[in-house]
Amino acid sequence: MPIIETRELSKKYPKPENKAESFFAVDQLSLVVEEGEIFGILGPNGAGKTTTLEMIEGVTDIDGGEAFVDGINVQTHPYAVKQIIGVQLQANEYFDKLSLTELPHLFCALYHRSVEPESLLVKVNLEEKARAKPADLSGGQKQRFSIACALANQPKVLFLDEPTTGLDPQAKHNLWDLARELNDSGITIVLTTHNMDEAETLCQRIAIMDHGRIVAQDSPQNLIHRHAPEPPEAPLQGNMEDVFLALTGTGLRD
Amino acid sequence: MIDSVPITLARVFLKMHLRDRQAIVFSLFFPIAFMLAFGLSSGSQDPIELGVVNNSQSGLAAEFIETLNTNPLFSVTEGSEHELRTALIEGDSKMVLILPAEFRDTDTGSQLRLLVDKAQMRQLGLILPMFEKALVTVERELRNTEPLFSLTVEDVKARSQGYIDFLIPGLLAFTLMQISISGSGFNLVEYRRKGILKRLFVTPLRPRDFILGLVLARLLLCLVQLSVLLGVAVVFLDVTVVGNLAALYLVIVLGTVIFLSMGFCLGSLAKTQQAILALGNLFIFPQMFLSGIFFPIDSLPKLVQPLAAVLPLSFVANALREIVTNGSSLLEILPELAGIAVWLVISFVLATRLFVWKEVAS
Repeated sequence: MPIIETRELSKKYPKPENKAESFFAVDQLSLVVEEGEIFGILGPNGAGKTTTLEMIEGVTDIDGGEAFVDGINVQTHPYAVKQIIGVQLQANEYFDKLSLTELPHLFCALYHRSVEPESLLVKVNLEEKARAKPADLSGGQKQRFSIACALANQPKVLFLDEPTTGLDPQAKHNLWDLARELNDSGITIVLTTHNMDEAETLCQRIAIMDHGRIVAQDSPQNLIHRHAPEPPEAPLQGNMEDVFLALTGTGLRD
Repeated sequence: MIDSVPITLARVFLKMHLRDRQAIVFSLFFPIAFMLAFGLSSGSQDPIELGVVNNSQSGLAAEFIETLNTNPLFSVTEGSEHELRTALIEGDSKMVLILPAEFRDTDTGSQLRLLVDKAQMRQLGLILPMFEKALVTVERELRNTEPLFSLTVEDVKARSQGYIDFLIPGLLAFTLMQISISGSGFNLVEYRRKGILKRLFVTPLRPRDFILGLVLARLLLCLVQLSVLLGVAVVFLDVTVVGNLAALYLVIVLGTVIFLSMGFCLGSLAKTQQAILALGNLFIFPQMFLSGIFFPIDSLPKLVQPLAAVLPLSFVANALREIVTNGSSLLEILPELAGIAVWLVISFVLATRLFVWKEVAS
């Protein structure tokens, strides 16, 4: 059953070099995310990944087409959609005078939920930092904390915008584990990424975007099968990341 | 679900303010320090340093200097013309009076010379009449003549009113404006820059709840901080609040709502930190000088007065001053209340037009 569906979704922006003209950041984009999957949107910078997410989340106005989350029209019922989605934005700053307990408490209150903030921190393995402030966290911890806040309303869909950009391999793998755990508990996850490993190992299905359009959409295996060039006769032994992890271990460094 | 969203948010905003030392110093300790500095030093005026060169060795000259010496307005230093000229040039004395050699009997008039520094003309304009009056008094005493008439100044108000009584209500109004504009204007831009507003936008938070939360927090903050200021003034500076406290707080609440609305306007217009600083200063500085905060609007150039009188801060400051120092009732300050009402409507309408949640957040 599809939990997200967009039909010819479009977004126009003025051109940076000439404000009088405009271009389509997202151009008649149609995609379907099935309930229970981890769906990745892959693409170079400026391909329209974040704009697509923000239109589905209701942050950015939709210029053409329509989007549905769990069958609810995003444009006509934005507040009903906001009730069932959890969002981690690319810029994940919070009120910096509040602690890691007070912030999730605030988010729970915004959804009229009485969830224990500690239980959210436990989910993302940050219970020891309960009294810290967001500014005291490392990059990986910040991303995990951001996910904890996004879980305040026990969402059906979780949107992660470039969750592993800028993280070291340990933190990255840790975040992937967290995403799998949440997915196993029944949350559909939609994420954007530049990271090919992330797309290949974490996502069940991928949409590859360029210039506001989807150029391919399928499972990683099928995409590799269909689009990847033939492998070399003598395959390489793993890759640099395997080397890095073998030498430095998988233990978290936060 | 015991507390509703605006109250939770108001608590959060207050908590953040209380943890922000810089904000507290700026909005609470600064006005208090300012008030105390003015209040505790505005007693009697310092005497004017007057150098006297005595070229006549007569008894009359000695008596003349003696009489000047007893006058509290002057602090007299005797010396040679050369010494005192240097003192005058270096700014150690305000004026130098030279008694000529022929200054010896009360029947023939003699020419006294007064050396001044023209660069201090403004100040001299105030001092010279006092000095001439002092000379006349001295002359009368020396000649033993009774003055033809004398003037006694009687205060028609029963209370003594000093500059501090003028300053306190103005300072209250100014602090009120600062707390409000920084709360809704500056903070709004800061939260947007950090992406916090966008994060709040993707939750079901209603914009009216966000605004209400912020307004409640700042209102409470204003009431508490202004009460502290007023308390300090009453306890340490002997200021009396003559009017009705309920009326006073009503004006404070209305004023706070005006400036919070204006803050929302400024915060919605300004997209960057620099822009809000520029806009904020453009809004705050003219009112600081024109709205009768530190000196009365009457003392401004005639041309500016009509403009100054209709500034929002002028109405608030005047209303507060009328209540605090004159004990006016709400009925007596109807003109100010009307001005406040007009600004309330203007700022509220502008704020609802300019503050579009989606645009402000992203």
